[in-house]
Amino acid sequence: MEKTILMSMKIKRLNVFTVFLITGILGFVLVSFKTQQKEPWNHEQLLSPEDLAKTLSDPQSHQPLILSVGPAATIKNSIDIGAAKDKANLDKLKRQLKATSKDETIVLYCGCCPFDKCPNIRPAFELLNQMQFTNHKLLNLPHNLKVDWIDHGYPVSN
Amino acid sequence: MIMAILLAIEQMKIRLLLALLLLFDVSISYSQIQGIELGNQAPEIRLPTPEGDTVSLSSFKGKLVLIDFWASWCGPCVEEQPELVRLYKKYRQVSFTNGNRLEIYGVSLDNKKAAWVNMINKKKISWSQVSDLRYWSSPVAKAYNIQELPFNLLVDGNGVVIGKNLHGIDLDDALTQSRIK
Repeated sequence: MEKTILMSMKIKRLNVFTVFLITGILGFVLVSFKTQQKEPWNHEQLLSPEDLAKTLSDPQSHQPLILSVGPAATIKNSIDIGAAKDKANLDKLKRQLKATSKDETIVLYCGCCPFDKCPNIRPAFELLNQMQFTNHKLLNLPHNLKVDWIDHGYPVSN
Repeated sequence: MIMAILLAIEQMKIRLLLALLLLFDVSISYSQIQGIELGNQAPEIRLPTPEGDTVSLSSFKGKLVLIDFWASWCGPCVEEQPELVRLYKKYRQVSFTNGNRLEIYGVSLDNKKAAWVNMINKKKISWSQVSDLRYWSSPVAKAYNIQELPFNLLVDGNGVVIGKNLHGIDLDDALTQSRIK
């Protein structure tokens, strides 16, 4: 009898814990799924800084068109478009890419602020989606240019 | 038999919980080991104002100084400026236990002078503003190991950091607590 009560208590405790754990995991999965859904880029379109740095230091490899859509073109060989939150700069980006082949490798970056607070990357990436480019990437700088690029000693413009 | 299975499941869950806690703990320690800490001497800063004069941090020795690292391209930094204007008016003539009067030292990570100066005028900022206009490549960002903007430090009359990343009501409270009654 005592054993049965003890067991039922244990099962109850386990059940509460299980519900808590499953809710937590489900919540996390749902939030990450939602976050991924609302961005104009997908996971495969995020380019790691390490990969771009490797490409930049290897003159033999095909060099992508690197466009800064933030305050400054800090990364080596990148073109300064200006902050893409301003319509004038977005128009400049459009003009810049007018004659570019749709399958050209294009890398966009800003790096002013963490991704969730950056006002520039979304309008720029959406424009490239609309222009039907097929090989455009967003440089994955989740914190900013300093933390994710400069502090690693990756190449910068003079 | 059932008991043994239940116990095994429970042990597994405890291990999982411990692993999760450890992961959480590691991420907290990681965020805390970065940058200048309370009690550190604030590294010297000597940079030009928009007019071209050089203003150093050490020139405010004896005063309580809020070093405000910001930029005109940083939305949250710009939004914070009216609050700093209010606090500057409120405390600039006040004597503190750890500094005589409040000074704000605005250090900008801008890279375009026009954008920087326009924002200073637009937000009616009257305290000292300096910048090397080098964006995230600024040696100041490196010396202070700045990870994100906005970022600020409260420095006492001897140049020792006594507050870090205080904003809004927290900053107001810290200043109220330090004032000589």
